[in-house]
Parts: sequence; structure tokens; C-alpha cells
Amino acid sequence: MGASGSGIFFDGKSSERHVVTIVLDGQALIVKQEGQETPLAVWPYDALEQVTSPDGVLRLALHGSADLARVEVRDPTLAGAIDDLSIPVDRSGMTSRRSRRKVVVWSMAAMASLLLMAVFGVPYAATALTPLVPYAAEMKLGQAVDRQARTMFGNDDPSKPLECGTSSEEKVGAAAFGRLVARLEAVAALPMPLSVTVIRKNDANAVALPGGHVYVFKGLIDKAKNADEVAGVIAHEIGHVAHRDGTRTVLQGAGLSFLFGMVLGDFVGGGAVVIGAKTVLQMSYSREVEAAADRYGIDLMQKAGGDARALASILDRIAGAIEPGFKVLLNHPATKERVAFIMRTARPAAGAAILDASDWAALKTICGKG
Amino acid sequence: MSAIDAAAPVLPQMPVAPEVSSGVGAARFLGSERTFFGLLARGALFLIVTLGIYRFWLATDVRRFLWGNTEIAGDNLEYSGTARELLLGFLMAIALLAPVYALFAVASLIADWVGGISGIAGLVLLGLLGQFAIYRARRYRLTRTVYRGIRLYQTGSAWRFAILSALWFCISVVTLGLAWPWGQASLERFKMCHTFYGNLGGRFVGSGGRLFLHGVILWVIVIVPFVAGSVIAVALVDWGALIDIMSAGGADMWEKIESSDANVGAAVVCALAALAWLILSAALLYPMFRAIVLRWWISGLRIGEMSATSRLRSGQIYKIYLRFLGYALLFALAAAVLVALAAFIVGTLPAAFKETPAGELASGIVFLGTYVLIALGYSTIYQSTITIRFWRLSFETVDLAGLGELENVRASGAASSAFGEDLADALDVGGL
Repeated sequence: MGASGSGIFFDGKSSERHVVTIVLDGQALIVKQEGQETPLAVWPYDALEQVTSPDGVLRLALHGSADLARVEVRDPTLAGAIDDLSIPVDRSGMTSRRSRRKVVVWSMAAMASLLLMAVFGVPYAATALTPLVPYAAEMKLGQAVDRQARTMFGNDDPSKPLECGTSSEEKVGAAAFGRLVARLEAVAALPMPLSVTVIRKNDANAVALPGGHVYVFKGLIDKAKNADEVAGVIAHEIGHVAHRDGTRTVLQGAGLSFLFGMVLGDFVGGGAVVIGAKTVLQMSYSREVEAAADRYGIDLMQKAGGDARALASILDRIAGAIEPGFKVLLNHPATKERVAFIMRTARPAAGAAILDASDWAALKTICGKG
Repeated sequence: MSAIDAAAPVLPQMPVAPEVSSGVGAARFLGSERTFFGLLARGALFLIVTLGIYRFWLATDVRRFLWGNTEIAGDNLEYSGTARELLLGFLMAIALLAPVYALFAVASLIADWVGGISGIAGLVLLGLLGQFAIYRARRYRLTRTVYRGIRLYQTGSAWRFAILSALWFCISVVTLGLAWPWGQASLERFKMCHTFYGNLGGRFVGSGGRLFLHGVILWVIVIVPFVAGSVIAVALVDWGALIDIMSAGGADMWEKIESSDANVGAAVVCALAALAWLILSAALLYPMFRAIVLRWWISGLRIGEMSATSRLRSGQIYKIYLRFLGYALLFALAAAVLVALAAFIVGTLPAAFKETPAGELASGIVFLGTYVLIALGYSTIYQSTITIRFWRLSFETVDLAGLGELENVRASGAASSAFGEDLADALDVGGL
């Protein structure tokens, strides 16, 4: 017969509190009630389970038991004796600390592989899947994105419609612009119809959406010195259309949203981290994509008989005007590098300008005069 | 801790809680706030390095601490849930939500009308799922609550609860919040009527009318001036004149509106004043509102013949919020220094390096990291000041009667899965 002491026993069948004597014999912890010969419980040491309790209380359960019978020991000497006899009982919390460490290490490993997936897996999968998307589906997608994009752009001159070239005074400019686009489109020979629109946005920018929708901002036309510069930007955007970059971006976005949004769930600040990580990652994807669109644009401009270096000159001018603090938000990284690349690769202008002087003057008025 | 050490060893002649015999007993909370803060701070650190996976372990630790240190009639509660269960439930929730999410995305591309309604339908569905998840999460937490070797549990359909909750939400909105007390009473009745401790069933006796009477003065102070101000603002405007100017359009539309006698300026001032009043008065009275609701709720709880009466005072809740505000301000100062430091680090990077993608990535990570640190810092302060004090206060200001019944409750009910709990987590409605 080993050590013994007092404790509290709950039998798991009723809430009655039994003040008991706990006897530690060779194999098991025996719970006895005063005046009774048969013990209330006999729990083998290796089946003991330590369950959560406040400091100063050792609370034990029987492992694998269906009911919630509990033994509570508040006597430190007796608790120490039980800890010595039973392997699962772990009052120092060492086992739980070790398993906790394992959790942290494995979660970090999981996060590392998740990040690798996001940096390499998602763009690879999106690139592999993009050619499999039928053109009809891309057109549908394009319509949906187009509707959203139009509301997102917002009109910088609300008194007029978002699209330039609709009113009678703008019709001449629209016709000149149409001739420019038609010349590029004829050379490009895209598998789907192209729709290039000038809109009343004061930023010097242009975007290509899925399904062949290209938007040129009024600010870009204002900043351009000649028709070749506008043509160069459009040729670059046609490159995005030909490479189906818009569709790929949508696929990438969906993949990243899934990876980060679903798997990470909501811990505090999680939402912002997801958006931030998406922006940073999509920016890192965009580098190679922009370079490819530049190469396409150079090629297209040369085939169409324009000045392929004009893209470099307008890029250089626009980049100079952008505030340095907003660099992170720009999705056309390292403009200087791109300008240098274009100047290296493109042949100098050979023939006449892509539009004659009167057409260029007309094009300038596509968003109204003045 | 020390209180328990002093009581040990327990002698048979001296029960730990002599109050039990008299039928009225006290509840206490014995946890040290310092320990709790340590637990939260360490958890926040692990949350960062595991990018959030650790939250299941942190939530389990927090509950074990709160439950384990809560003593009712001499015995402590036990939280028997594990982080592994939460993780499993989370995976189940993903398995359910991922196809729904993908289906909506694909469907809105194929058929336009899906895209059109998916916004509204998605919100309604998320709202319902959120309430469903809240009910299931409650079930999980109850079945993991053990007291005197017997568990609590919950029955009832989570969908019925979700629909009931949605109905009351609509009624509350339509009545500008006046019906809210009755909604709360109805939902609490639903919850408590399906709550059991062993063979004892729960009830909720708090009435909506009583809560309404206690709280209507707050409604009058906060909502009535706001509604009145808004109505006056709308009435001030000469809508006919305004519409004439708007439909004429033109670049000088705003100047025309200003110079016209449509009273837009006065109306805007009036509307802004109403809004400012709403925000200011709501912020000032919020602790009192919390106190009224908490007192009403605790005093309405019944399990078997046992009843609770809360002596909670509004001043105590104000003290809790002021203490949080103090720490939050101190932390805001620290955060400002942190942000300045982050900006400085990014600023000192060589321009040539910042041009490269690695440089952009680095500065992005510095700012994101700062943001996460600040968000986690606030959450830690909130939990270690407000959560724990609310918990402590709720138990320390409660009078329990009829505890004699505790002597012979029979076990009943089984443990439930953590699925709902983690649906709540995935839907961002997870609570404590």
C-alpha cells in the first residue's frame, strides 16, 4: 500500500461531490469513500489523463472513458506522488509545450509551402490554364469585368459621357482614332474582336481587360507628343490581349484569394494581409508579363510601319510625372528598365508617322477641344 | 492560486464551499490578469509566425484559462475542447464553403443574372450561415463545458435559430431598433430552452418589455435626435429646385446649387449634426447599454430551479472601457513610433534597391508587418482589458440561488463536433 491523501471525486453520472480518500497502490489509483469497502473507482496509472484545471489543482480523468468522471487533488504532496507514478500525467506541462512547439514549427512549414505555392504555383497554374479557356468564355468574362471596370474608373468629367468620341464635335477625332486602331488590328490578326475606347480619365494610363477591351485614358492622349506614342501604348495593350493576360490575371486573383482567404481564415488583420499579399504578389507576376507585352508591341509597331521607340519616349515622360511615394501601387514596375529595353530592341523609325499631321490633330480632339 | 493553496488539503469535515448548504452561493473568478496577458502576448507572437494557424490553439488556451479559473459554488468549470477539434472543424467548413464559393464565381461568369443577384443572395446567405454558425459554435462550447463531472449541452435546430434571428433582424431594422429587446428575449428563450446541464433544462425569463423599459431612454437620447435631424435635413431642401438644376447638369452645377435657394447648405449642416450626435452619444452611452443588457441577460438565466441575479452597475462597465481607452492611447503612441520607424527604414533603403521587385517586396513587407503588429496589439489589449474584466465582473456580481439542486444532477447529452464553431471562424463571426 503506497501513499494516500484526500481528494474530491465526481463519478460522471451525477453532480454529487464525493470527498474521498485516494490511495496509490502498485498499479492503480484507488478512490475510496469513508465507511465503504468497495472503492468508487480504480484507475490504472497509464490510463490517467490530466485535464485542464486552475493552478494548484490536479484534475484527472480516465482516458477513453465515455463519462466525465473526475478526480481532483489539491494536496501538493499527493499530486506529486501521482505525477511520479503515472507517465501521462505531466504537471510541469513539458509534454504540452513540446506538442505546442511541434504545432508552431509545422504551421511555419505549411505557411512556407503556401507562400511557395503563391509565388510559383499560382502563376504557373494560371499560365497553364489560360490557353484552355475558350474564347467564348473569355468574351463573357470580358463583358462582366468590363461592366465592373467602367463603374470603377469613374468619370473625371461627369457632365459628359465616360466614353470620348460620341458627341458631334468629337466625331472627327473618333474617326482618326478608329483609323489608327484599325491599322494596328489588321496587322495583329487577333482571334477575337478588339474594342479600343478612349475615356474621360485624367491619368496618363491605358488598360487591357479580358475579352479584347482596351481603354485609353484621356490623360495619355493629352501627354502624347505624336500619334506613334499613342499607337505604341495601344500596341502594348494589344500585346496583353493577344497573350490573354487579363484572363490570366483573373485566374491568378481567384487562386490567390482562395489560397489566402480560405486557408488563412480570419485572424485579426487577416483581411488586410490577404489584400496586401495579393497586391505584392500580382505585382511580382506582372513584371514578366509587361516585358512580353512590350516585345509584342515593338513587333506590332514595326510590322504596322510605326515608330516602335515611341512607346519608350511616352513611358519615360509619364514615369517622370508620377510621385515617387506611389511607386508601390504602380503595376508597371521598373519603367527605366523597360525604356532601356525598348530602345535597345526596337529599330529607329523608318518611314512617315503612323498618322498624318491632320489626322493626329483631329485625334487630339477626341475628348473635345481645349 | 494562493486561495486554493490555503484551502488544501481539503478536510472531510470542512467543505470548500460552505455556501452550498444555504442554497445561495457565490461565483468567483480567480485568474490573474498578468498570466492572461502573457498567454495572449505569446499567442499573438505565434499568430504572426504561423500566419494565423495558431489561432485554434490560442482560442483553446483562452477558454481553458477563463473556464478553469471560474469557480461556482466551490467547484471550477472545465473547458474540455481541444485545438485539434477546432482545426478539424475548420477543415470541414472549408470543404463545405470552397465549392459554394467556386460555384458562385463560375456561375456568375456563365450567366449574367447570377452575377446580378449573387451580391444580394450572397449577403443573405452569409447572414443566415453566420447565425447558423453562431448557434452551432454555442453548442460546441457548451458540450465542452464540464462542471462537477457533468457536461452542458444544447439541442435545437441551428437553421430555425438562423431564420428566427434573421426575422428579428428585419423587424428591428424596420422599427429603428425599438423591437430589438423583444428580439433578444425571443432569441435568448430559444437558446436557453435548448440548453441543458445534465438532466436540468434551461429557461430564460428575461422579458423584452423589461429590457425595453430599461433601455428606451438610451434610444430616445441616441436615435430620436438623429432621426429628427435627418427628417429636418430632408424637409429643408427644395427638392423641385434641386432636381431642376441637377437635370440641367453642366460643369458649374455645384455653384448653381450653392447660389440657389434650395437650402442644400443648411440641410447638409443639419444632416452632419445629426450624424455627429448619433456617433458621439452612441459612443458615450455604449458602456451603459452593455451594462443594461448584460444585467438583464444574466438575471434572466435559469437552469432547473437555479436562478441568477446580477448586481452589475453601469459605473463598473465604464471603468472597464476607460481602462481600455487608457491602454489603447498608450499603445497608439507606441504604434506611431513604430510607423515612423517603418517609414524611416523604407526611406533609408537605397533608391536603386527600391526600384527592383525585391525592394518593392521588402518595403511592402515592412508596412504589412507593421500593420499586423498594430492590429494584433490592439486585439491583445482588448482581450486583456475588456474580455477578461467583463468575464470577471459577470461572475463576481451575480447572486446564485437554488444551488441545492446541484447536489444531484444526472449526466445526459453527448459531445458535438466543432464544425459550426469553425464555420463561424471561416465566416468571420467567431466570438470568444
